[in-house]
Amino acid sequence: MAGIVAHQSMETLHVTALHPLHVCHECDTIQRVPTLAPGTVAHCRVCGAHLFSNPRGGLNTPLALMLGATLLFILANAYPLITLDLNGLRHTTSLGGASLALWRNERPLLAAVVGFTTVLGPALLIFGTTYVLAALRWHRRMAGVATLLSWITRFQPWGMLDVFMLGVLVALVKLGSMAEIVPGVGLFAFAILIFVFAAAASTLDAHLLWDSYEDLR
Amino acid sequence: MRIYAEMAMPRGIDAGLTPCGTCGLTVRVTGSGRQYCPRCGSLIRLRKPDSIARTWALLIAAALMYIPANALPVMRSSLLGSESADTIMSGVVYFMHHGEWPLAAVIFIASVLVPLLKLLALIYLLLSVQRRSTIRRRERTRLYRITELVGRWSMVDVFVVALLAALVQLGNLAHIEPGLGATAFASVVVLTMFAALSFDPRLIWDHQEPSTDER
Ligand SMILES: [Zn+2]
Ligand SMILES: [Zn+2]
Repeated sequence: MAGIVAHQSMETLHVTALHPLHVCHECDTIQRVPTLAPGTVAHCRVCGAHLFSNPRGGLNTPLALMLGATLLFILANAYPLITLDLNGLRHTTSLGGASLALWRNERPLLAAVVGFTTVLGPALLIFGTTYVLAALRWHRRMAGVATLLSWITRFQPWGMLDVFMLGVLVALVKLGSMAEIVPGVGLFAFAILIFVFAAAASTLDAHLLWDSYEDLR
Repeated sequence: MRIYAEMAMPRGIDAGLTPCGTCGLTVRVTGSGRQYCPRCGSLIRLRKPDSIARTWALLIAAALMYIPANALPVMRSSLLGSESADTIMSGVVYFMHHGEWPLAAVIFIASVLVPLLKLLALIYLLLSVQRRSTIRRRERTRLYRITELVGRWSMVDVFVVALLAALVQLGNLAHIEPGLGATAFASVVVLTMFAALSFDPRLIWDHQEPSTDER
């Protein structure tokens, strides 16, 4: 469990007594939070912020789901996403093709934003989380766990696979009237990935991961 | 009544305790000088640095980019020899003309309404903090939370443009290329996301005494 860490040894006694204290990151209120039962969430009693949760299934459930997400993400990138067929003229794109097309059309800034939010960011989140979960699950002191964990927390909002999925749907409707659309293997993998990744995220809690990391040391 | 209950609760800043911005560990802040989280190594700060100034700067930049984002075409298409340029709004109108009401609504909400409301919400939050307002703190914190959560969905139009530009590459027959408006629009989304991230919601709760014009 998260504890209070003192920097001066003089304070150690005081600190032990304060152990279950938690400071809300949204309103700064200090509150005592008891150890959570599996499947429960702690909210701040003043502002209602989500403090932390204790999802059921420990590390096994998210690890299994993240391994699935890793495989699906590789498939989604390796196989074609969509093929456009206009009177026999065909053009295919992959997941990375979206940002590549922007790059080719001399929009480097846009290509960077799209590339990061649809390929690099999600790759970091998916591979990084899987790596961290594996290290924590098998109690291995593998390199870079702390760095990856803080990156995962920081880059969370920039992984936009779900938003991209909505973009795919809109683009398909737009193109549907002018040409034939052939969904590729990559698109099926991508669609399943959205659900698996969301399920994995719902069984994960950053605080829990940090606590497990602390136990590892 | 709730206001009194809120005031009675001890706050981290008064007790010298703060949650680590990265891992959430409760850390005791000791003296001056740089202090790092003993668990994850992040720099410990009581509040996000220069929160109000940074958020204002990012918001003003986003508001300025909002104009070209809506005025310039997000893409240019040439279909069977006929050229056309699409702006964000013409994309919404296109779906309305084709009877695709749910999609028109999705694009309108994600691309027009959300960025605008997000700008207004953050401006309101900044002004209320600068006026040292003590009313409706819980609601304002919730407004911040929603602002932070929904911002990324505005990227949907940028992704549509990217996908169309990647797919419709059939030479003279059909061809779509991204416009400068798409870059401007993406920068609005990114700038407002950074603005939301640099705003510190704890500032809403930092002024405990009500200002003279309230109550
Ligand atoms: Zn709170
Ligand atoms: Zn930390």
